[in-house]
Amino acid sequence: MPDTAWHIIEVVVMLLLPLLMAGGLTVVERRLLGQLQDRYGPNRVGVMGEMQVLADAVKLLGKEDWIPPFADRPVFVAAPAIILMSVLASFAVIPLTSGFAVADLNVGLLFFLAMSSLGVYSVALAGWSSRSKYPLLGGLRAAAQLLGYEVFMGMSLLGVVMMAGSFDLSTIVEGQRGLWYVGPQFVGFVVFFIAGLAETRRTPFDLPEAESELVAGYHAEYSAMKFGIFYVGEYLGITLVSALMTVLFFGGWLGPILPGWTWFLLKTSILILVVIVVRAALPRVRYDQLMSFGWKVMLPLTLINLLVTAAVILAT
Amino acid sequence: MVSPTIDLVIEFALMLAIGAAMAILFLFISHLLAPKSKNPNKDQPYECGVVPESDARAPMNVHYYLVAVLFVLFDLEAVFIYPWAISLRELGTSALVEMFVFIVILLVGYFYAWKKGVFEWE
Amino acid sequence: MGLTLSAAAGGATHAAGAGAAGTGAVTGILTELEQQFPGVDFVRQETKDGIPTAWIGREALVPVLRHLERGVDGPFRTLYDLAGMDERVRANRDGLPAADFSVVYHLRSYDRNADVRLKVPLAGDRVSVPTVTGLWPSADWYERELWDMFGIGVDGHPDLRRILMPPWWEGHPLRKDHPDRATEMGTFQLPPDDDLLYQEALEADPAQDARTVVLNVGPQHPGTHGPVRIILTLRDELIVDAVPDIGFHHRGAEKIGERQTWHTYIPYTDRVDYLGGVLNNLPYVLSVERLAGTEVPPRAQVIRVMLAELFRISSHLVFYGTFAQDLGAMTPVFYTFEDRERLMAIIEAITGGRMHPSWFRIGGVSQDLPAGWEQMVRDFLDYLPPRLREYDRLVMQSRVVKARTVGIGEIDKDTAIDRGITGPNLRACGFEWDLRKKRPYSGYDRFEFDIPTAARGDCYGRVAVRVEEIRQSLRIIRQCVDQMPSGPHKSEQPLAAPPSHDRMLHDIETLIDHFLGVSWGPVVPPGEAICPTESSKGDYGYYLVSDGNVTSYRTRIRTPSFPHLQALPLLCRGLEVPDLIAILGSIDFVMGDVDR
Repeated sequence: MPDTAWHIIEVVVMLLLPLLMAGGLTVVERRLLGQLQDRYGPNRVGVMGEMQVLADAVKLLGKEDWIPPFADRPVFVAAPAIILMSVLASFAVIPLTSGFAVADLNVGLLFFLAMSSLGVYSVALAGWSSRSKYPLLGGLRAAAQLLGYEVFMGMSLLGVVMMAGSFDLSTIVEGQRGLWYVGPQFVGFVVFFIAGLAETRRTPFDLPEAESELVAGYHAEYSAMKFGIFYVGEYLGITLVSALMTVLFFGGWLGPILPGWTWFLLKTSILILVVIVVRAALPRVRYDQLMSFGWKVMLPLTLINLLVTAAVILAT
Repeated sequence: MVSPTIDLVIEFALMLAIGAAMAILFLFISHLLAPKSKNPNKDQPYECGVVPESDARAPMNVHYYLVAVLFVLFDLEAVFIYPWAISLRELGTSALVEMFVFIVILLVGYFYAWKKGVFEWE
Repeated sequence: MGLTLSAAAGGATHAAGAGAAGTGAVTGILTELEQQFPGVDFVRQETKDGIPTAWIGREALVPVLRHLERGVDGPFRTLYDLAGMDERVRANRDGLPAADFSVVYHLRSYDRNADVRLKVPLAGDRVSVPTVTGLWPSADWYERELWDMFGIGVDGHPDLRRILMPPWWEGHPLRKDHPDRATEMGTFQLPPDDDLLYQEALEADPAQDARTVVLNVGPQHPGTHGPVRIILTLRDELIVDAVPDIGFHHRGAEKIGERQTWHTYIPYTDRVDYLGGVLNNLPYVLSVERLAGTEVPPRAQVIRVMLAELFRISSHLVFYGTFAQDLGAMTPVFYTFEDRERLMAIIEAITGGRMHPSWFRIGGVSQDLPAGWEQMVRDFLDYLPPRLREYDRLVMQSRVVKARTVGIGEIDKDTAIDRGITGPNLRACGFEWDLRKKRPYSGYDRFEFDIPTAARGDCYGRVAVRVEEIRQSLRIIRQCVDQMPSGPHKSEQPLAAPPSHDRMLHDIETLIDHFLGVSWGPVVPPGEAICPTESSKGDYGYYLVSDGNVTSYRTRIRTPSFPHLQALPLLCRGLEVPDLIAILGSIDFVMGDVDR
């Protein structure tokens, strides 16, 4: 059954690739931040610090796997698994190159939106089940934050959908043969980028974690590999959002000479770097500010973008 | 050859299953390798080095639900817009006008909520 | 003891001259009081700092203080300091009312630019004073400290319990009969169930409803900059009340002052505001010099100013970076620490130390400047301004920073004065007051610089003032480099410590001075003095009482952070937890400075 074998290869690639990227990202981020901040970052393990991933993994595996006796045990253990599963499942619809996606779903974009927003359950449940106050506040913030960005996140992509006339990610990529959507849909891109930062809980929207305020927020009580999963989950999220932005706004695998998947990976990597640079540059907002920003600025902006895009499409 | 839908379901099931298996594997290996040590001081929630005084369960702000209801409304609205967005080209100008009216009606409620200060957290 | 006498004669005029409070206005206020309260016996006391000082009876205290606070022209709106003293073994008490203990109320009037000091003698079995929290809210913590350290009761205080020592502590440490070394106290043992006892005493306001959560921020929290515990009562994330709990950093610096000689106490001062370096040495040596009547040579004065301003920059750089860190901006702290590292290289070249140089000496500084110091300082003066401009873009002009700090944690000028807030935090309220200008010490009147202020007294203003102060400090340092006088770096007077080597082997008098000064320590003539200085955090002074001995009889450290942290609940009520962290960052306190 070559067909099934192909499926399995696709699945394995789409699981391992993000995991590898996320693992590598843990080092890349620290090294890049180090460069941006006049310091080295981890540079001792391996030739230039690249083996830090392994060192960290081994360290995390060797840490005591502590489950707080006061915590809500099953939920506490399930919370990190949820984030891993929801993010990995979202990768199923990402087309790595032409015809290479685990599931070429005709509502792929909607599937992404549905799965990726499940991640907030993980954070909120982790905070709640820890039965400890700082995680609790972190979890509550995650839930509140969701209301701030989720409303404009989906709508920011409607411009792209209108232009491509489809929710299928491969069709959307094909639609960008002439012009990447980042040009006509620049507003949509910016809005989605901001929403993506909020969704992955990255600076300036790292409120549920907020080290200087909530210490470690929702994962304050987590240790060992359960913490490691949250850690990797964050980078998986960044990879996912960057990959999706590549697909939606930067022509996915399209590009001259080189094979499609290299273009895809290249574009995704650049977007990931941008996300990291944003972290080096910005302070954190307050969650009520995120809320009013989302509702008062971003939402009207997306609605205007939506109508203008529709009008332009009909006019041409 | 199974039908495309079944095919998709299998693919997703595979993806989810392997994802879950990975999560479980990570946790299991960690569980196997990790050292254990008991200490009563460890069995306290973190509260900056102080024994916590009250339970870590807090009711949510009523305001939160207010925004949440609004959020659900707007998300539902988005659900209406999604199919419209796809079939815009076929439906033509009338669809645009209809959507414009739809959004205007929506905005009335939106501005009402704004004036009522729903978006001010305090 | 010829040594003491000659020194006292030598420098008395200088010491009085430095007190810009001015002797004219000084006696004025006491005369005013005598006319206003004919029935009250004001026993005047001479002090070396020129601040009018009088003893009054316990009964007259509150009316007189109330009159000073609101009745007089140019009212004394600030309770600058409130401290106790154990008078029981003090030898030099000529003409002072009999007392076992005394309580000192040091008040300040900004309108008059003058201070006044009132003392209350306490004796017998009723050792207590009436509370003045009704006049100055900032008296709250001072009175608790009074009780904690001396066991002096405060009648009518709303919440009289220990503040620096743990609640189960036995005895009152600053009493003369309390041992000052752990070795004199037997094996230390925590009381059983200590945790719970300790916690219970700190419980927040029990008047909470079901919707509130009590959250401890600190002592182990990255946002508090040191071990302080703030007990928050939260409704959602809104702060209903905040109760700071301090004392985790208490090391008994004042008690140690009664044990160390005048000279060997200098390293301990470094550790009070541990970011301030020589800014700690300065108020201490200035006070000792007032007591000893030591004149400081011009070169030493300028070196002191230069080092003090370098450390002000260092302290503000740490503040700047960590403040941005508190707001969640990860990068600026690395930049400012990089700059600070360059600054530390200069400090190290000059003093040999970094954070705790302990470099000032009574009568001067430890050593002359090393060869090549000038180029190092000039390089730094050229290096920093472009970096500051970059930070302006990165932090001060950032819209997120503005959204997080403008209008957050506001305090108006009058409230700030009432609460004893000083330094950059006071200037952020739009009040142009800087001790370096208003009461110049160590030759600050010879330098040109501006006093930066902000308008609103909010977090943003507090940062803006400090950032501008860095620039002003650079200006002062440039003037120091340009006009560095030549001459000795330490006074030749016999009380300067350690005494000068040069003439030691030439005449017997100097040899004796040197021998005594080195083996025993300088004997400072009896007297009392404080010399408030403008440190990086605010108004900072050492109120020293000498009983004509090699150690101080009482060392009272008036630190700026103590009243600043006390005002925290006022600043953060009704705001959110992230705002609390921003406020904590912006008031720039150091726990060593609060707890001493």
